[in-house]
Amino acid sequence: MKKELPAIIKTPLTHSQLVKYAGASGDFNPIHTVVPVAQEAGLKDCIAHGMLIMGMAGEAICTWFPRESLRKFQVRFQKMTFPGEKLSISGRILGEETVEKETYLLGEVAAINDEGEMKLKGTFRVKKEE
Amino acid sequence: MKAFVDKAGLKTQEFSFTIERGKIKEFVQAIGDRNPIYHELTAALEQGYEDIPIPPTFATVIEMWAGLDFEKLIELLQLNPLNVLHGEQEYEYMKTICAGEVISGQMEVVKHVQKGNMDFFKLETVFRNSTGLIAMISRSTVIERH
Repeated sequence: MKKELPAIIKTPLTHSQLVKYAGASGDFNPIHTVVPVAQEAGLKDCIAHGMLIMGMAGEAICTWFPRESLRKFQVRFQKMTFPGEKLSISGRILGEETVEKETYLLGEVAAINDEGEMKLKGTFRVKKEE
Repeated sequence: MKAFVDKAGLKTQEFSFTIERGKIKEFVQAIGDRNPIYHELTAALEQGYEDIPIPPTFATVIEMWAGLDFEKLIELLQLNPLNVLHGEQEYEYMKTICAGEVISGQMEVVKHVQKGNMDFFKLETVFRNSTGLIAMISRSTVIERH
């Protein structure tokens, strides 16, 4: 039953992308966009919004399954992501379950950089196509 | 260690947000998500959506732009903004939300614990469509290190 899903490869993160995501999402925490503020917090550079990385994981899930089928999506943020890092989003189906005559596929998703560092790890549930 | 004042039970005011195609496009462009259902109305209609659907993590846009932005959260939970981390995030989807809908929501602090030098807050936001049906639930864990 376990099945690997085709990974999606993202372009390297840029500071401009973080500025765009801040504007789009409305999360203006300056730790994501203002380098001196990030340094004041003890970081070497700005860090990506965790939600941006989750957004990429969501993008991957909706290339594997129709958006409409997604019922649950949960992630745990593991490590900070900095501009310049290149992420790949991988996933696999772990199994399925039937609840009240509806069958769902259960899967896991992960965002990993080029060095193999895991940034985000999560699970999802989609309604199985007839 | 910071003195513990339990924030569980705190709620925001109910907020309301109109889903717009342009806001969806801006959001998916920032992510780099090229799925045509978010970019072209015809693609969305062909796949059976009533309009452009929202991507899976769009709830964050509704919350942040409709009233619960980072500064408000900091004020509500009385956090030091430099020490705040987003630990976990979960969404449950009951009904696909599309552009044109008016969505209302309210966030509640459902749990607050202190462990060692960290405070953990579990937040839950229930999103309803204009007929009052629950369309989506967001659950997040926010961590403050001190």
